Amino acid sequence: MTTLYVLDVPENTGVAKVAAEDPAVSVGRIGPYFEITASGAITIDRRATGCRHAVWYSAVAGVARDSRITQHDKNALRVEPA
Amino acid sequence: MAKLDHRVKGVDHAAFPIFDIGNDDRIAFFYYFGTEPLNQTGRGDAYAAFGPEVPTYFIRSRHLAIHVDGYEDLMEYRRRLDDSQWPVEMQIQHETIESIYTHDPNGYMVEITRAMRPVTPQEDLDANLTIDALLDVVTEPDPSLAKLLARKAELIVERAAQWELERTGP
Repeated sequence: MTTLYVLDVPENTGVAKVAAEDPAVSVGRIGPYFEITASGAITIDRRATGCRHAVWYSAVAGVARDSRITQHDKNALRVEPA
Repeated sequence: MAKLDHRVKGVDHAAFPIFDIGNDDRIAFFYYFGTEPLNQTGRGDAYAAFGPEVPTYFIRSRHLAIHVDGYEDLMEYRRRLDDSQWPVEMQIQHETIESIYTHDPNGYMVEITRAMRPVTPQEDLDANLTIDALLDVVTEPDPSLAKLLARKAELIVERAAQWELERTGP
C-alpha cells in the first residue's frame, strides 16, 4: 500500500486531480488533506498539475511509513511501497 | 587592599536597540566603529566570507523577510529602493507570495514580501503538525526528511479529521 497526504489549498488541487486520473489511484480525504492511495506506485507528472516549483516542492504533507518517495524532481513525484 | 583599576579600553560596539518595524516587531542593528568591510570574495556579506564548500542555497537562506499588506505597498518599497544605492535585485512571484530582494549596506540579503492570498486555517494546522513532527524526529537518531514526512503522516491520521469536525461544528 502506498499513501501520500497533500494539504487541500488552492495551489495543490492540481496535484490531487492529476493523481486521480490514474485508475489505480484513489483520492480520499482526511480532514483538510487529500489522502492519495494505491496498492502500487503513485506517479504524478508535475507539468500536468500546473504547479511551478515553489508549490511543487512543498506539496507533500506526509508519506505513510510503509511508503517512500523515490522521485521528486522537476518532472514528477513518485511514491512507492517501502 | 589595592583598589581594582579599570581595565576597559573603550567602546567595542554599539547595538542600536531597538527599531520598531511595526506590529510590535523590532530589529536590532550592530555597528562596529572603525571596522572596514573585510570580505572581498563576493561570497558572504561585507565582513564574513563563505568558503567554496558552503552551498549557495545555504548562503541565500540567510536573510530577513518583512511582509507588507499588498501589491501597492510592495511597489512603493520597490520604488524607494530603486531610488537608493540598494536597488531591487530580484522581484519574484513564488506562487503564494511575491517578493523583492536587495542586499543592505552590510551585504545581508533583505526581502520584502506580500501574500498573494490570505493564509487558510488548514495551513495553520499543517504548520503545527510539521513542527510537532519535526520535534519528534529530531529527538531520534539520524533525523531526515523521510522520517519527518512519515511522522507527519501519523499526526495527520491522528488529528486532521478531528480538527475539521471541531472547526465545522456538529
